[in-house]
Amino acid sequence: MSYALIIAEVRRGVFEERNLDSAGIAALLGKEAVMLIPDGAYEAGNIAETVVKVKVAEEVFLNPLNLKNILGQVFAARGNPDLIVFTHSSFGMESAAYTAGAFGFPVVTDVSGYDKEKGVFLKSYYSDKIFGEFKASGGPVVISVRSGSFKEFAVDKAAKAEEMEGAAPVETRTFVEYVEEEKADVDITKADFLLSVGRGIGSKEEIPAYEDLAGRLKAVLSGSRPVIDKMWLPKPRQVGTSGKTVRPKVYLAMGISGAFQHIAGMKDSECIIAVNKDTEAPIFQYAHFGIIADIHKVRDKLKEIVG
Amino acid sequence: MNILVFAKRVAATQEEELRIRDEGAAVDLSKVPFKINDWDNYSVEEAVRIVEKTGGTVTAISIGDAESDEVLRRAIAMGARDGFLVSSGEIFHDPGVRSRLIQNFIRKENIPFDVIFTGVQSEDDQFGCVGGILGACLGLPYSSMVIGIDAVEKDHMIIRRELEGGLQERVKIAVPCVLSIQSGINEPRYVSIMGIRKASKVERKVFQAADYAAPASAGIEVVRWTYPEKKGGATMLTGELDTVCGQLLGILKEKGVFQ
Repeated sequence: MSYALIIAEVRRGVFEERNLDSAGIAALLGKEAVMLIPDGAYEAGNIAETVVKVKVAEEVFLNPLNLKNILGQVFAARGNPDLIVFTHSSFGMESAAYTAGAFGFPVVTDVSGYDKEKGVFLKSYYSDKIFGEFKASGGPVVISVRSGSFKEFAVDKAAKAEEMEGAAPVETRTFVEYVEEEKADVDITKADFLLSVGRGIGSKEEIPAYEDLAGRLKAVLSGSRPVIDKMWLPKPRQVGTSGKTVRPKVYLAMGISGAFQHIAGMKDSECIIAVNKDTEAPIFQYAHFGIIADIHKVRDKLKEIVG
Repeated sequence: MNILVFAKRVAATQEEELRIRDEGAAVDLSKVPFKINDWDNYSVEEAVRIVEKTGGTVTAISIGDAESDEVLRRAIAMGARDGFLVSSGEIFHDPGVRSRLIQNFIRKENIPFDVIFTGVQSEDDQFGCVGGILGACLGLPYSSMVIGIDAVEKDHMIIRRELEGGLQERVKIAVPCVLSIQSGINEPRYVSIMGIRKASKVERKVFQAADYAAPASAGIEVVRWTYPEKKGGATMLTGELDTVCGQLLGILKEKGVFQ
């Protein structure tokens, strides 16, 4: 039977909100949705026709090797779905690819749009500067969906509850423990005004000058992923999905092009001001105010005016 | 420990204006500079660090045109012993095709390994799939988003995976395995021009991708390239630097974050 199989993302007892996007694309495609969820008391809502509780622990379910065996059981019982939907997250990225490889299914990740007429999935290329329209053939298509892209299409459904036993966990990959982030000197999520710097600052040597500007403006300094990866700023200062989600009154982004993972971490700021020399930087699509300029010149001029 | 690490030469489009040509049939990259994929740079560094501690070798492998030799020379300069180019003029947009090509290459050439590293994703297509598909095809355990390797033993590794919101997950994974390395896992060493020149003297083997092509019944194809849909967009502040900065400070004052 034709159906969409949604693999719910849960983490430490929480049903992730981005599962709504998975439900949304299933609804947009007009598919009956079957959602798999591990054992536990999750607030899953009524977003699928059928919710199948797989009687395994969360850590077992979130392991792509175990998931492969669970999916094998589901396909044997229900037949192949048309669509297998993951969230585009640390879990979803990993498991979508492994699932596609294990069953020989086509895969498109980071799907942010669907054209019903053409039957094509829209996927980002070159950090959102270009999008590709993808057509899949030869089997159920595995997708991971970008958070925020399809939730508006999710609708209330019957959510008939079912249960199934899960296959025995594999031993070649096992969960050990969660590791919390190091404690920070400042909590960037509490700041009213963030001055955030990105790859565009060019080198670590520029950091003190931006720290100085932040001090003069009474802003807190934060950064995007490339700045944290290069260890120019400590990890607790990272804005984005793998760092912190922030909602300051003002978010002043300097030299940040605006990768989707960054946007997801700051888009709800009250006022976003972006400074970048690249007129095509995706961040200008999300900012309230934009300045196309050399960020170092803007920095120095602001210092000069503020004194 | 013998590590195979995959390195891709990609278009560095961060500050480039990209144009679509032939009515959506192609993206014009003719004026864009190319470089090693950021994630692969971290992978090469991590592999070299492990081998420096445990012994063994690092083999860098690139799939691409003749120009991709550049990333192999770079990897050798960083500490890889060998560089293999699987030569193809074709761009593989389907990660399934790329992964199965790698699978066939490793099997046919009987390349020994304990661990395979790929980057989490490549900067150009951002698929993040090659490692996962490859791991599943080879029947090996797999993990992506690897942000730390805490222990390397003969039969297993203890790794950390990056999750969301600063959280990590420690995982025990059996060797042999496939790992996709996340950016920021280490601080890649500086590669000098002299170093690359020296590395050029190390012979790189060239293989033909066509010899390892894998016919697949399932797959994806890109039918058209498009520009992103324009949202509302920002109100642009324009004029002389003085004016623009004055306007910016005005907004800060209006929002009450600066007096």
